[in-house]
Amino acid sequence: MSWQTLDRKSVPEGHLGPALSAAAQEKIRSFFPRYPTKRAVMLPALHIAQDELGYVSIQAMRDIAGLLEVPPAAVLDVVSFYTHFWTHPKGRKTIVLCRSLTCELLGSQALQTAIEQKLGIRDHETTADGEWSFMTEECLAACDYAPCLQINEKMHKCVRVEELDKLLADPQNDKLAMPRSDLYDRPVQA
Amino acid sequence: MPKIIIDGQEVACRENIPVLQAALEAGQDIPHYCYHPGLSIVASCRLCLMEMKMPDPRTKELVWVPKLFPSCQTPVKDGMEVRFNTERVRDNVKHVMEYYLLNHPLDCPVCDKAGECYLQDYTESGGPATSRMVEEKYKNPKKDIGPHTLLYQDRCVLCSRCVRFTDEIAGTGELKVINRGSRGEIDVFPGAPLANALQGNVVDLCPVGALLDKGFLFKQRVWLLKHAKSVSPVDSRGQTIWIDHNAEGIHRIRPRFNERVNEWWISDEARFGWKFIYRADRLSQPRTRNGTALAPVAWEALPDLLRSRIEQAAAGDGGARVAAVLSPMLSCEEAWLLAQFIRDLAPQATLVLGHVPVTGQDRCFPKGFKIMAEKCPNRRGIETVLAHFGGPQSTFAEFLGRAVEGQVAAAYVTAGYPEAWVDDRAVTALRKVPFLAVHDLFPSGLDASATVQIPAASWAEREGTFMNCDGLLQAFDRAIPPLEGVKPDGQFLFELAGGEGLFRSHKVRASVAAAVPALGDVFEPRPLPEHAH
Ligand code: SF4
Ligand code: FES
Ligand code: FES
Repeated sequence: MSWQTLDRKSVPEGHLGPALSAAAQEKIRSFFPRYPTKRAVMLPALHIAQDELGYVSIQAMRDIAGLLEVPPAAVLDVVSFYTHFWTHPKGRKTIVLCRSLTCELLGSQALQTAIEQKLGIRDHETTADGEWSFMTEECLAACDYAPCLQINEKMHKCVRVEELDKLLADPQNDKLAMPRSDLYDRPVQA
Repeated sequence: MPKIIIDGQEVACRENIPVLQAALEAGQDIPHYCYHPGLSIVASCRLCLMEMKMPDPRTKELVWVPKLFPSCQTPVKDGMEVRFNTERVRDNVKHVMEYYLLNHPLDCPVCDKAGECYLQDYTESGGPATSRMVEEKYKNPKKDIGPHTLLYQDRCVLCSRCVRFTDEIAGTGELKVINRGSRGEIDVFPGAPLANALQGNVVDLCPVGALLDKGFLFKQRVWLLKHAKSVSPVDSRGQTIWIDHNAEGIHRIRPRFNERVNEWWISDEARFGWKFIYRADRLSQPRTRNGTALAPVAWEALPDLLRSRIEQAAAGDGGARVAAVLSPMLSCEEAWLLAQFIRDLAPQATLVLGHVPVTGQDRCFPKGFKIMAEKCPNRRGIETVLAHFGGPQSTFAEFLGRAVEGQVAAAYVTAGYPEAWVDDRAVTALRKVPFLAVHDLFPSGLDASATVQIPAASWAEREGTFMNCDGLLQAFDRAIPPLEGVKPDGQFLFELAGGEGLFRSHKVRASVAAAVPALGDVFEPRPLPEHAH
């Protein structure tokens, strides 16, 4: 497709996204004493950004690069390595469907089609109202209950296409706030 | 010096190099993408694998091990035995190459790299000739990643050479591998383009046609190019280069390996700093003042004219009011000839070190690559020539000072700078010189007062030696014929100084060296192994 050219020299109009708040930046800085180098704070910093903004915006990556004193491309390198980090806005609730072997054999494909039709979005997309995002992942480590999916942090096992409506309406799905391990929020001991 | 056995042949190799490097230096063509002697070793492309003998844990006897080892990551050790010429090694190359071609677009007919592409070469020598893949290939758009460079993503083999270059040599880290596994791609951060002062090297480094130079894109097929050995005139470091050219002129400049100066790299200044040669306003005709205007004159008439006017100016005082300005753009040989010519006619003439352009500060990159602030190639060479000739000498500024006071009756000024160099001070000062000969590439403020204007040739149209800022003398060859109407500086000065026939820099150099051995001591970089890239 070399007849098409992607311009990477500039940030496309409106793609910069929100910046990190002063509090988030301060929190990132508070991790510095725990590691031998600033660069090593990359993963905690990305978690903090994604927790605050719901995704890691281009501006947030720039902010992190500035804090960790690395080229911004080094942040993009890590962000893009992990599917966990989103580089575009993520919905309030995210459906993560297993795409590995056991689930595939027991019908995850049909589930994927049904979800995509119901919400009108494809893999790694977000509905226009910002309510739902959908993505597939490798093995969710619940093969004995295949096919399975997760909505935010809640695992749904042995899912059937007919149950989808009920699952999507499950009030437990809203319980997003799985507390982070206290490793993240514990104040650093001097 | 360790000795190792490669395919049954004993090979003496340098200390602490990888087996791959030793094999390449021994003349073997070992396929490799990710290994580059100037970069860290990642052993990720898996093309260079070899068989190796190791001690059997029970018998301690040396036996061939059933697995393959990356030769780029295995340092040589005295007495070790390895082999490449086996079925297992060839099989590995074949299958790895098949993977590389899975998603490759095979668009060699429109790819700039065709002819110097290691995907082509290794497929030809060891890969499968046909693809077994029936599925559709990944297709990616190309990426505009910087002012000079395009990334044809679908041709990339992810060797990560370009990434390691920006990390380790340039120290700027603009390029990274994004995504993971089979979706991996090279990319820049949006809005942070590849724009460091050494970035052009990634195009040479890329073993395939993924990173290409916008300026060279679709201009020439590489097999139509000839390569001239040269030395870049852009700064005082004397980066050694290849000038790729043909009958249509220069098409690109690439680094020429030099262990003492620029290693495998060159600065972008050196890479792109040749276009001035083709500026439309180049001087192409000698002219002399006829009344108020400069009128064309034949080259043949110049020597007598210059000789008689300088003799005239030197009459009586041995030439104390005569000066020759030796530009640091001249080669050592040219400077020598000019100094000789002037001192023959006017033994008391002042020899002046020409204007030395300086921009900014010296820049040093993480692994030691340097870009110098002094933007001329041969100040040290001119100084060496001046030291030999002795007698009255001055800096360019002092010379202007004397000229403005009317103490200069005749001056021969050489220049040849790619950038405009004449300021008001020089114009005012040199207006006071009754006989002024200006030997330069472009029109300048001096034209109004010049009695004789002599068109110069660029370094690519000349041959000779430059002495770099560390005193290293390096020779450059002529790449292209001079602009029509121009006589190369060396040839003209050779005739002026009384020489007959063709100017050949090595002959002049031999006679110069008899007087100043330092000017004959030319350094030649060690050639790279034929199959290294
Ligand atoms: S762009 Fe070229 S140099 Fe960079 S990783 Fe791809 S093949 Fe290697
Ligand atoms: S295969 Fe789906 S949870 Fe393991
Ligand atoms: S693995 Fe040795 S050259 Fe790439």
